[in-house]
Amino acid sequence: MITRMALFFVMTFAASACGLGDIGSGSSDAPRIVVSVAVSLSDALRRASDEFERTTGVTVDLNVGGSDTLATQLLAGATGDLFVSADTRQMDRVEAGGRIITSTRVDLFSNQLVVVSSVDLAGYVSGIRDLESLRVRRIAMGDPESVPAGVYAQEFLKSVGIWDTVRSKVVPTRSVRAALAAVEAGNADVGVVYQTDVALAENVSIAFVVPVEQGPRIRYVAAVAAGAPHESTAKQLLNFLRATRARRIFEDAGFIALGGATP
Amino acid sequence: MNFELMQVVLFSVGMAALATVVMLPPGIALAWILVRRPFPGRTVLETLISLPLVLPPVATGLILLRLFGRRGLVGRWFDQLGIEVIFTWKAVVLAMAVMGLPLLVRAARSGFEQVDRRYERIAATLGANPVRVFLTISLPLARRGVMAGAVLGFSRALGEFGATVMIAGTLPGTRTLSTSIYAYTQTGQDASATVLLVAAALVAFAALFVSNRLSAVGL
Repeated sequence: MITRMALFFVMTFAASACGLGDIGSGSSDAPRIVVSVAVSLSDALRRASDEFERTTGVTVDLNVGGSDTLATQLLAGATGDLFVSADTRQMDRVEAGGRIITSTRVDLFSNQLVVVSSVDLAGYVSGIRDLESLRVRRIAMGDPESVPAGVYAQEFLKSVGIWDTVRSKVVPTRSVRAALAAVEAGNADVGVVYQTDVALAENVSIAFVVPVEQGPRIRYVAAVAAGAPHESTAKQLLNFLRATRARRIFEDAGFIALGGATP
Repeated sequence: MNFELMQVVLFSVGMAALATVVMLPPGIALAWILVRRPFPGRTVLETLISLPLVLPPVATGLILLRLFGRRGLVGRWFDQLGIEVIFTWKAVVLAMAVMGLPLLVRAARSGFEQVDRRYERIAATLGANPVRVFLTISLPLARRGVMAGAVLGFSRALGEFGATVMIAGTLPGTRTLSTSIYAYTQTGQDASATVLLVAAALVAFAALFVSNRLSAVGL
């Protein structure tokens, strides 16, 4: 019994010593940074961050969510190093709250909206007017009050003049991926999401792609957080995201890179 | 408080009351069966009923989503009948009732356990059929447990969040107190969230007051 207890204590001590060791080495030479990123961009950003980790030895942790949720977290004082929002509105909110370093703010990518339908309705929805049809009972999208994908979707539906007739069918979700999931499960007939989301989807078909010139101006905008624990590393990552190597990763995923590439 | 927020409060209280009404008949029946009619597989039934009490609410929500989704085991049937559950007020009632049921059954069970079997037997020897025995002897004698269970179930229903947010979402027509507070904080509308917080506290206070009054008058 005594030996067993002794063993337990030794192991507990050893485990905590290892843990302390990890924290120590992490903070001294190779930092660990936290990036709050819009869920639609997260998969591509993960791939780009893996690349960044390989070359720099820095560890990049992603805090993934709807941009409005992330903005609320930052405004509430959550620590983070970099914020990548799917629209300017949420970035403006965080900037107005003094939670980003304004000089680092930069537009990174653009995207396109698509209307997807569940497999049950495949072939039935092919034009924007079909959303008004009685066969389309529920339209999933990010919450048009605040989730960027929903804000863009509402803007688009207003611009084509059908928002007022379809708004009662709208199922607002906490992020664009939740809207896609509702269509995948068949609980919503149609969803308005980003083109880049659809690559991962099952049981949905693209009804139609909103042409860039007809759709809203989609802007992914990034900035280093004010009071970032690793400000210089965050700036380094932000620079990397604008470099040709990283841009290729995002373009492969379907995003449109904005501005000139950094060397 | 503006009209929209008022509506959320009334909707929540209404749905929780409806959920309580919905869960009462099966809840009382289950409690009675568990106490008075031991049968093989009773433990399995007991465990199934209590599951929502121990499972994370979101997990219960996921089970309900899988069952009642348009392609789900049950949802498929409803869909053919033209009844939609997910993302409607029915989903709110369903989530509330499923989460409240275990509490109702537990309290009602202890109510029935305290009923002296001799009264039931005497009524039977005097010619009362089992239904009459239940309605005139067992249920009235177990009323304290049943009432306590109903109040507990109602309170649980009113506070339900995890399962509700999974199957009912936060549509304008399905927003409860809990899901609205969540949605408002997520979108940075803290003032509205705070108003609802105060409303939630007032409703909880009223529920406690009513339940205390009920036990004081010996109902």
